Amino acid sequence: MSGSQDRHVDPERALLSGEGAGQRTGEGDHRFPVRGHGTEHRRPDEAAAGDGGTTYYDQPLLKEPIWIWSVPAYFYVGGVTSGAAIVGAVAQLVDRQGLDRLIRRSRWLAGGGAAVSTVLLIIDLGRPARFLNMLRVFRPSSAMSVGSWTLAAMAPAAGASAVLPAVGARRLGDAAGLGAGALAPVLGTYTAVLLSDTAVPLWQATRTSLPRFFAASATVATASALELFPTVDAREEAITRHLGMVAKVADLVCGEQVQHQADEVARVGRPLHEGASGALWRTAKLSTAASLAVSLVPVPARWRAARRILSAVLGTLGSLAGRFAVFHAGKRSTRDPRASFAQQRAGRGAAGVDGRAGVTGPGGQRATDA
Amino acid sequence: MSVSPGIMPTSDESAELRAGSELARDHRGEFDRGHGHALPAGAKGFFTDTTVCIGCKACEVACKQWNQLPDDGFVFTGTSYDNTGDLGSSTWRHVAFIERPGAHPTTGFADMSWFEGDDAPSAPVAFGPDPQGGGDFSWLMLSDVCKHCVHAGCLDVCPTGAIIRTEYESVYIQPDVCNGCGMCVPACPFGVVDRREEDGRAWKCTLCYDRQRDGLEPACAKACPTDSIVFGDIDDLRAIAEERVATLHERGVDSAYLYGADAASQPGTQGLNAFFLLTDAPEVYNLPPDPVDPTHAVGAAWRSALVAGAAMVVAVAGAVLSAAGARR
Ligand code: SF4
Ligand code: SF4
Repeated sequence: MSGSQDRHVDPERALLSGEGAGQRTGEGDHRFPVRGHGTEHRRPDEAAAGDGGTTYYDQPLLKEPIWIWSVPAYFYVGGVTSGAAIVGAVAQLVDRQGLDRLIRRSRWLAGGGAAVSTVLLIIDLGRPARFLNMLRVFRPSSAMSVGSWTLAAMAPAAGASAVLPAVGARRLGDAAGLGAGALAPVLGTYTAVLLSDTAVPLWQATRTSLPRFFAASATVATASALELFPTVDAREEAITRHLGMVAKVADLVCGEQVQHQADEVARVGRPLHEGASGALWRTAKLSTAASLAVSLVPVPARWRAARRILSAVLGTLGSLAGRFAVFHAGKRSTRDPRASFAQQRAGRGAAGVDGRAGVTGPGGQRATDA
Repeated sequence: MSVSPGIMPTSDESAELRAGSELARDHRGEFDRGHGHALPAGAKGFFTDTTVCIGCKACEVACKQWNQLPDDGFVFTGTSYDNTGDLGSSTWRHVAFIERPGAHPTTGFADMSWFEGDDAPSAPVAFGPDPQGGGDFSWLMLSDVCKHCVHAGCLDVCPTGAIIRTEYESVYIQPDVCNGCGMCVPACPFGVVDRREEDGRAWKCTLCYDRQRDGLEPACAKACPTDSIVFGDIDDLRAIAEERVATLHERGVDSAYLYGADAASQPGTQGLNAFFLLTDAPEVYNLPPDPVDPTHAVGAAWRSALVAGAAMVVAVAGAVLSAAGARR
C-alpha cells in the first residue's frame, strides 16, 4: 500500500482519515489515458462539424463496464447450467426410468456448471473476499441481486440433484432436480436483464430482444454440450438434435432482432458491425448457422457420431462468440459518447421510458424537440 | 472598462453576483458553523452556475485534499486547460473547459488577439469586449460532480446495499460494504462512479457527508471563490437558480437554463440534487441530453426474460416428447 505517497501526505505528521484515504493505489499510478479516451481531441466546435454532433473532446460520456472475460464466460456457463437443469427436470417428468442416463448427465452438467459459474463471478469481483455481501440484501431493481439469489438457491439444488442419487438418496435427488429446473429459466435469462440494467446504449436499445437471444443461446449451448458426450443412444441423440435445431433457429432469429433493435439508431448498432465485437458477432452467426446446417444433413448411421460432434462444436463456438460479441459490443458503445447522445435525442432516453424528455434549453425546450 | 450593453453586470450588480444572491449568502452563514453539530436532515445539494465559473479548479483541489484522494499523475491532455479529463474513482470534482468560437454568453468577452500576432499588446488588455474585434474564441467552464440523482442508477442496481441514500438525500457508497462487483459503474447515466483497479471498490463524491455531519458545507463549495458552486437546501437552491436564470434572461442571456433542477425537467432521474445552470446544449458539457435511471426500464426486460425462459422449457419439452418414438 502506497497510500500516503500518492497523497503527498506524511503519515507521521497528518492523519489519513479522509473519505478517500482508504482507497488503495498502485505504484506510480497514472490514470491517463482515460479508459476509452478518444484519440481525436478535436475542439468541441470542430468535433461538432464532424459526424454525429458535439462532444466534449470526443471523450466518453459513460464509464466502460469494468467486467472482465469471466463475465461473458459466465453468461455461457450459466446458460449451460440453466439449460441442463431444465432438460434434467423435464426428462425426469416425462420418463424417469427410460431417460435415466440423460437425466444424470444433465444434472452433472447443471451442478458442475453452477459451481464453475460461482467461481467465474467471484473472480470478477474487485474484492473477492467479500462475495457474500451479495446476499446481504435483496434488491428487486438490481438484476444482479436477483441473479445472485437465484444462483445461490439453484447451485445447491443442482449439485444435490447430481450427487444425491449417487449416494442412494434418489427421491431427494429428484426433488432437488425439479427445484433446480424451476429456477433455471431465471438463471438463463437474467444476465440479459442485467446488461440492460445499465446506461450502456447498445444494451439499453436491445432490452427486450437480448433476453430472447440469451435464452436461445443458452439452449444451443446446452444441446451442444449434451451432444459432446461420447456415447448416446438413438433417443438421446434425437432429443439433443431436435432441441439444438429449434434453439439454433431461435438463436439466429433473435440475433437478427437484437441487431435490428440496435440499428434503430445507427450509431448505437455500430459495434455489432465494426471492430473485434463486429467480427465476433459475425462469427457467432456463421457458426450457429453452420451448426444448424450440419445437423440437418442426412447421413448414414456410421456418420451420425461425426455429424453430432461437428454440430456440437460449431454450436458451442456460436454460443460463446455470441456472448462475447454482445459483451464487447456493449463496452465499445460506451466509448462512443455520440451513441448515447443520438439515442437520447431520438427519443430513446427517458422520453421512451418515462414518456417525457429532459429539458435541454431555455423556455422548457426538451431533448426530443427538433 | 467598456462592456457589451445589457450583458455585463453593473458594478453594483457584480458585487451581488460575487456573493451569489442573498439566499446564497445566508447559506454561507448557516452552513459554516463548524461547531461539530450535524446539519439538520433534509435534501441538500449543489447548484452549479456555470456562467460565473472562472476555471480556477479550487474545487478540484479542495475536494482532493479534504478527501485525501490519491493523485492521478501529472499529465498533459492537450484538451484546453482540462488536464483532469473526467470524473473517476480519485477525481470527484472535474472542471471542464469548453473552447468555442464566439463570445462568452455572459461576459461578452471574445478577444484572444493578445495571445498571438505581431500587434499583440505587451500586456493583456482588458479582454476586448467586442465580439467582432479580432478574436473569435471563448471558454465555457463547468465544474462537474456526482449529481446525487433522486432516482440514482448506481444505487438502484447495487446488489450489496453498499450504496445508500443519506439523511441529506445524497448518494453515498459505503467502502466497507462494496465488494467491487462493478454493477454501478455502467449504470450511472452520467459516467460518474468508477472502480479503482488496485483498490477493487467503487468510489465517487460523497457530497462531503463527513463535513455535513460536522456542520460544514462541502469542501468544493467552501473553496469556490465565485460561488459558482452553491451548497444548500434543495428548495432554496431552486429558488436561487430560478432567480439567477431570470436575471440572466433580463440581461439578454437568452440561452441560460437549468439542467436537472427537478423531476419535471428531468423525468429520467426525477431531478438531480446537484443541478446546473447551462448556456448551451448538455452535450457540449459532456452531459447526457435525456438521461434515465436504467432501472426505470428494467420491467420490460424482465417481462421479455420470463417469456423467453418459459420458451426454453417449452422447447425442451417438445424435444423430449418428439423423441419418444426414436428407436433405442
Ligand atoms: S447515478 Fe451517477 S450521478 Fe447519479 S448518484 Fe449515482 S453516481 Fe451520482
Ligand atoms: S461495485 Fe460496490 S458500490 Fe458498485 S454496485 Fe457493486 S457492491 Fe455496489
